[in-house]
Amino acid sequence: MAKGTVLVVDDEAPIRDILSFYLKRAGYQVLTAAHGVEALEEMGRSRPDLIISDLRMPEMPGDELCKRVKSDPATRDIYFIILSALDGTASRIGGLSLGADDMIPKPFHAQEVLAKVDSTFRLIEMQKEIKRQNKELTAFQQRVQEEMELAAALQMGLLPKLPGEAPGSTYTHRYLPAAGIGGDIYAILPLPDGCTAMMIADVSGHGVTAALISAMVKTSFENQVRLGGEPLAWAHGMNEDLCRSTLAEQFATAWLGRLDPVANRIRYVVAGHCAPLRIVGGTRGGLQRSEVLRGKGFMLGLDEQLPFLEHEAEFLPGDRLVLYTDGLVEVERDDRTMLEEAGLRRICAELPVGAEEAAEAVITQARAYNQPAPFVDDVTLVILDRKA
Amino acid sequence: MLNIQTRQEGTASVVSIQGKVNFEVTAQLRDVIRETVATAQPKLLVINLEGVSFIDSSGLGLLVAARNSVDKSGGKLHLSCLPAPVKKTFDQTNLTNYFSIFATEQDALRGA
Repeated sequence: MAKGTVLVVDDEAPIRDILSFYLKRAGYQVLTAAHGVEALEEMGRSRPDLIISDLRMPEMPGDELCKRVKSDPATRDIYFIILSALDGTASRIGGLSLGADDMIPKPFHAQEVLAKVDSTFRLIEMQKEIKRQNKELTAFQQRVQEEMELAAALQMGLLPKLPGEAPGSTYTHRYLPAAGIGGDIYAILPLPDGCTAMMIADVSGHGVTAALISAMVKTSFENQVRLGGEPLAWAHGMNEDLCRSTLAEQFATAWLGRLDPVANRIRYVVAGHCAPLRIVGGTRGGLQRSEVLRGKGFMLGLDEQLPFLEHEAEFLPGDRLVLYTDGLVEVERDDRTMLEEAGLRRICAELPVGAEEAAEAVITQARAYNQPAPFVDDVTLVILDRKA
Repeated sequence: MLNIQTRQEGTASVVSIQGKVNFEVTAQLRDVIRETVATAQPKLLVINLEGVSFIDSSGLGLLVAARNSVDKSGGKLHLSCLPAPVKKTFDQTNLTNYFSIFATEQDALRGA
C-alpha cells in the first residue's frame, strides 16, 4: 500500500522526474503537474495529501496555487511545500505568509526533499490521529451532555410541584443549579395530623454525585417522616442513612422543620445549614421584621454517633418563612464582601405580598448585590407563606 | 489559588493553608494531606488555617475525612488559628465540637 499521495508541481520536467523517482522509490504515490492550472485539474481527479510546488511557473504560479488550495475548505488541510529558488529568510517568510506549510530552497538534494516529505507525513498521520480522537471526544461529550440534561430534568421532577400547597400555607421556590444539575434539594410534606414537614438540604460538592446524594436525602427524609416523630428523630435517622451510604467526604447540611398550625409553632433541627428567616407578618408586604431560626448542629452524614438538637420558634398566621442554601448569600464580590445572612435580612425587610413576587425580588436583589460575580454554587430559595 | 506548605516538627506534621478553600481546590489539598499522612505517618497532624479567608462545605468535608483517616491510623488531628469567617462556619455546623481547635500553632503542637 502506498504511504500517501504527493503532487509534484514544477514546469521543469527533469525536476518532476527526479522527485517522482525518489518519492516512488520511497513508497509514495506521485501525481505530477507542470503548473497551477494543471495541478488543480489533477486535484479534481484525485486528492493528494501533500503538494510540493515550484513558485515560478507559467499559467498559474505557485503562490496563486497555494492561495487557492489554502482558501478552499475542501483542500486547505492538504500540506503545501513551496520549492523556490528565491533563497533567504525574506522569501521564506513570504512563502509561509501565503499559507504554505513549509519551504525548500532551490537548488535542493532529492534526499533533502524526501526527508522533508517523510517528516511531513509523520505530521499528517499525527494530525489524522488527533482529528479522529477529537471526533470521538466530541461524540462522547455530546452523549454526556445529553445525559446531564436528562438528569437535570429528572432532578427538577424531584422538587415539589408549583404552586405549592400545604395545610394552611402556600409556597414557591427558585432552583438554580450551578452545573445544570446540583446538590440542593427540598421537600414539603403534609402530615396526617394537619402539620407540615419541611426539609431543605445542600449536599457537599457539585454535579452528578451531589445530585444522586440529594435524591437519596429526599428519600431518606420521606421515610423518616412516614415513621412519625419529630424533626430530632428525622435528623438522627437521616444521619444514619447518609453515614451508611456515602463516601468519606460526602455529607449534607440540612434544615428540618415541623410546622404545627394549631400551636403556631415550628419545631426544627439545624444540621449545619444556614438558618431560615421568619418574616413576621411577611405576607402583608410593607416593611417587615425578620427573625433567624437559629440553631447549631452537625451536618448529616459525618458520624452516626453525633447528637442533634431540636429548637422551637413561633410561626403565626400571616408569617413568611424563607428557606435557602448558602449559594444564595456566599458569592464573593470583587471587593471580597459577600451578601451573607445580614444582607439577605436587609433584602427581606421589604418584600412584595405574593410569594412568587417575593422569591423573584430576593433572587434579583441577591444577583444585583453580587454583580458582576454570578452565582457559583447551587442556589435554592423557598418561600412559604402562612395564610392569614 | 490555594497556597499549601508542609513541614515536620518532630513526630508532628504541620500543613499550613492560605487562600479560599472551595470545591475547585479540594483535590489539591486532599492530595497534599493524603501524601503527608502516608509518607510522614505523623502522630499528630496540625492543619494551620490562619491564611484561609473562606471555606465551603466541600472544604469542611475534606477536613472531616482527614480527621477520620488520621484517627484510623492512630494519630490525632489538631486545627489551629481559625480566622473569624472560618470560625463562624465551624460554629454554624457545630464542627467546633468535632475537631480539637487551638488558638495558635504552638498550642496545637503542644496539645498532643
